[in-house]
Amino acid sequence: MTDVKRIPLWLDCDPGVDDAMAMALMLALPPYEVKGISAVAGNVELSKTFQNARNLAAFFGHKDVPVYAGADRPLFREPRTAYFVHGENGLGNVALPASDAPVEQLPAWDALYEAAKAAAGELVLVAIGPLTNVALALMKHGSLGKLLKRIVIMGGSASWGNATPAAEANIFCDPEAASTVFQCGVPIVMCGLDMTLKAVMSPAELDRMGELNPTAKFLRDAAQHGLAYSQAHGIDGMALHDPTAVLYPLYSELFSGEEAGVAVETKGTVTYGKTVTDLYSDKQFPFKNALVLLDVDREKLILRVGEILSRY
Amino acid sequence: MEQAKKTIPVILDGDPGHDDAIAWVLAKASPRLDIRACTSVCGNQTIEKTTYNALRICTLIGNHAPFGVGRPRPLVAQPIIAPTVHGKSGLDGPDLPEPDFEPCGLDAPALMAKVIEESDEPVTLVPTGPLTNVAALLLTRPDLKAKIDRISLMGGGIAYGNWTPAAEFNILVDPEAAKIVFESGIPITMAGLDVTEKALVFPEDFNRIRAVGNKVAQVVADWLEFFYGFHRSLGYPGAPVHDAVAVAALIKPELMTTRDLFVQVETAGDFCKGTTVGDWYGVTGQAPNATCILDIDRQGFVDLLVEAVKAYD
Repeated sequence: MTDVKRIPLWLDCDPGVDDAMAMALMLALPPYEVKGISAVAGNVELSKTFQNARNLAAFFGHKDVPVYAGADRPLFREPRTAYFVHGENGLGNVALPASDAPVEQLPAWDALYEAAKAAAGELVLVAIGPLTNVALALMKHGSLGKLLKRIVIMGGSASWGNATPAAEANIFCDPEAASTVFQCGVPIVMCGLDMTLKAVMSPAELDRMGELNPTAKFLRDAAQHGLAYSQAHGIDGMALHDPTAVLYPLYSELFSGEEAGVAVETKGTVTYGKTVTDLYSDKQFPFKNALVLLDVDREKLILRVGEILSRY
Repeated sequence: MEQAKKTIPVILDGDPGHDDAIAWVLAKASPRLDIRACTSVCGNQTIEKTTYNALRICTLIGNHAPFGVGRPRPLVAQPIIAPTVHGKSGLDGPDLPEPDFEPCGLDAPALMAKVIEESDEPVTLVPTGPLTNVAALLLTRPDLKAKIDRISLMGGGIAYGNWTPAAEFNILVDPEAAKIVFESGIPITMAGLDVTEKALVFPEDFNRIRAVGNKVAQVVADWLEFFYGFHRSLGYPGAPVHDAVAVAALIKPELMTTRDLFVQVETAGDFCKGTTVGDWYGVTGQAPNATCILDIDRQGFVDLLVEAVKAYD
């Protein structure tokens, strides 16, 4: 094991039910050297995402991983939450014990920058909430764009949106931040709806997963609130939006996609927050800045998730 | 059986353009369609050129329905033309007969209004260019909406564009007009890029059309050759005859796979001006306003074109 190079990783998140599963997976994968977790306002307010992130890390047995608070609102637009999916507490209204880990005082953008410097160009950033923290880190620390190896984003869509007809929820929560991140020069992997809506865990699979152990049972229970919402919107199961982004750096063979130019619309009326890609258009952008994932081997993904969670 | 079906009174409104031209050839050949008027709009080329081209096409196919000329520019936006696709004349390629008739003297929206007003039954509009004329009609004569049965248009794309990554040419040229049309409440059939880039006519099909032998068949084959030149350079295996899909959808709807969607038009934005946004996941809760064509029986479409040119024997 000692000669296997671990991947230094940073997770920026807004837990969030599927963020919780993403964290559980990440913290059970020894090849990841998790340098830190930062919380951002998104699915629910920052006070809740921060507490949730702390409590989840402790619940998953990793009080040692520092958790930082970031932005409590988007750069410009009004905050937008998603209680209808994630419940009042952000975790499907399932309570967790409070973490007694020390409360980190450094703001998320400074902590991320310090970790990137320490990792000397190897840090992989996985961002699964609105991109406010990441944008602020890039704005404050000019060299961060040269220090990150890759940014794996859960967000966007090369076709249709789920927050509006044109925009996906994470990007729609902070389009200006997303625009900054897509232009930052770091290679981006976009885990958008094109792929994540194919990464659906069926209710039966979710139930089977819940039998594994208390950790998996918690994730199953937390997902129930959102499941009803998904089913009302034609998705029979839990789309593993955030978990796919966390698994990508280690299991890229499960996914397929195409290099594309991606720009974020920040001035449109009905397209505000749309990730415009040139994948299918005759007209191409003069740049390629992202690998847009379009498909996933669903069966293998579900197996992999079960296998990783069974380690708890 | 075809003859037993009721005929549909139509107004053809286009910016010819090779694919507009083929759309009109298809329309004139069909006993299902009764062409009540033709109108020109600026788009692929200036209004002078699209008007001249339209009159020559009508002359070629023996269509002398009243002709109305459109305005020289979009409602609000600056004009955009597409000489890279259609050539300097807007309809480069084969020689065409000079026009053997004159425009009727009414501007395009006024002619549309007159035809609709005088018709006993509701009229279907078939716009295959920017929606400038149709929007001008709807803005100035909202009382006639109830007498417009349907608007079967070529434009937009519910997932992507062609002239910009997000916007299709016809909608991009006059986004404000498109917004008016999509918000009009009139039933819309949208032949967008989702289907029209699948409505491919391959080089071997050109030969099939040419082999029909008559003058129109020769010209259509030449138009296809020219139109394919641009698309071949982009990697297309054939010529996407966009505009003909809006006509084919009326003549032979069974060739089409459709989905009813709520579609909005973006008129602002850095990257999305002219984008038609389809509510694929139903997040707005709004009722659909457009029947979006998503796929086509390509072979059936080509067969329809071949049959159409045979009508000119």
